[in-house]
Amino acid sequence: MGIPEDLKYTKDHEWGRIEGSLMRVGITDYAQSELGDVVFVELKAKGTRLKAGETFGTVESVKAVSDLYAPVSGVITETNPELEQSPELVNQDCYGAAWMIVIAMDDPSEAGRLMDAAAYARFVASEAR
Amino acid sequence: MRTPLYEEHVLLRARIVDFHGWDLPVWYTGIVEEHLATRRNAGLFDISHMGELFVSGPDVTASLEHVLTITVADLKRSQAKYALLLNHEGGIIDDLLVYCIDPGAMYLLCVNASNTEKDHAWLRSQLRGQVTIEDRSPQTVMLALQGPASQSIVKQVLDLDLDKIGYFHFREMVTAYGELLVSRTGYTGSDGVEIFMPAEQATALWRAFLGHGSTPCGLGARDTLRLEMGYPLHGNDIDESTTPIEAGLHFAVDMHKPFFIGKSRLEEQIRSGVDRRLVGLIMIEKGIPRGGFICRREDRTVGRVTSGSISPILHTGIALAYVDSAIGIGDEVEVMIRSQPVRARTVKPPFVAPAVRKHAGGD
Repeated sequence: MGIPEDLKYTKDHEWGRIEGSLMRVGITDYAQSELGDVVFVELKAKGTRLKAGETFGTVESVKAVSDLYAPVSGVITETNPELEQSPELVNQDCYGAAWMIVIAMDDPSEAGRLMDAAAYARFVASEAR
Repeated sequence: MRTPLYEEHVLLRARIVDFHGWDLPVWYTGIVEEHLATRRNAGLFDISHMGELFVSGPDVTASLEHVLTITVADLKRSQAKYALLLNHEGGIIDDLLVYCIDPGAMYLLCVNASNTEKDHAWLRSQLRGQVTIEDRSPQTVMLALQGPASQSIVKQVLDLDLDKIGYFHFREMVTAYGELLVSRTGYTGSDGVEIFMPAEQATALWRAFLGHGSTPCGLGARDTLRLEMGYPLHGNDIDESTTPIEAGLHFAVDMHKPFFIGKSRLEEQIRSGVDRRLVGLIMIEKGIPRGGFICRREDRTVGRVTSGSISPILHTGIALAYVDSAIGIGDEVEVMIRSQPVRARTVKPPFVAPAVRKHAGGD
């Protein structure tokens, strides 16, 4: 189960990559493998204001549907246009091509409350048990 | 509970889920891949959770006529038929396959896993005369090999020519894998076989089928495959509160029979009509209908989805739903998906053309 060192993680299995005052967000390898074949990704529109923990969309697989939660507060500045046509990217490249949104963070220090890779690895191990 | 093949599933790194108390693989590599492997090549399913009730004795035929919706006496040796077990109100206790092993003497009822005990108890309470029921579920493995390549795989592994077994017929044979009952049936709409066998050599046969190019498939693909055919799943689409008339299962009911439990209610429904019926839904707009979702038409609730998913063949959301009888086939309804109305059209299943071989075989 891939858990890149340079990312931040939520308990809902989103990842965030800090890019200056922006955070790029997607779902983790654990999340995509639990969902199985992803068939739809629905994202809120660019410009939407989110509080940390609010839903920014849904991801749906053949078997299940799951809400997506914002790791930090801010405004959506970008959504990934590829996922509309190619939702299977979520299964194929969850940390790369299948990024979902970019958030302009209200307060970049908020990211400090998220888990680092080691903490997330422990969290996943406890969930899987 | 675990099937005798559980360790094989673990070795194949299957994702295991709890299904009515059974630890079963939901998928190995992915539902879509396994679904397509079955439609295009061959899929192998461990369905050992299914129940096997052997019913025998001098009064077996008359007794089964009493509880089953089909005319059991019409079954010939080595023939199988889909039938229903109804309660006195015409509700569906279970749907099952009846295998005629010895006409007038012994029949195998293959029932839904979670209903095995309930069916057994019902049969015990309803069967008359000299009849014995034996539940051989624990010691029986059931494999389904489904898909267009099944025929050549069965030929290579079992040296059995499937052209000689007609659709809904079976053959009992002694092989290197023990005594098998090989049946030209399935729950996928693709050509193939279902095999009943003792547990001892099941791993060897499982591995032989995989070694000849079949893909291991889990419950996830089993569900999407049957849904594309519109086959109902007991517990989802049919249960004791629904009748075969409402569910469109007329073909499984012989109304010419003088009596079977539940018949009078069905006669009444045929005479005066039903309020709802089970139809297929195909999404016009993007979205996946799921069990429990409400159907609306002109702001009025007109039905409820009982199973739904996305069709890996059509790439569209499909479902089975009970809707008001006033709604015709081809009419539009809205499925409420997370509070949003999403347009769908009613259809008569199957959603995808079946590819089973209907011709009668040499048996």
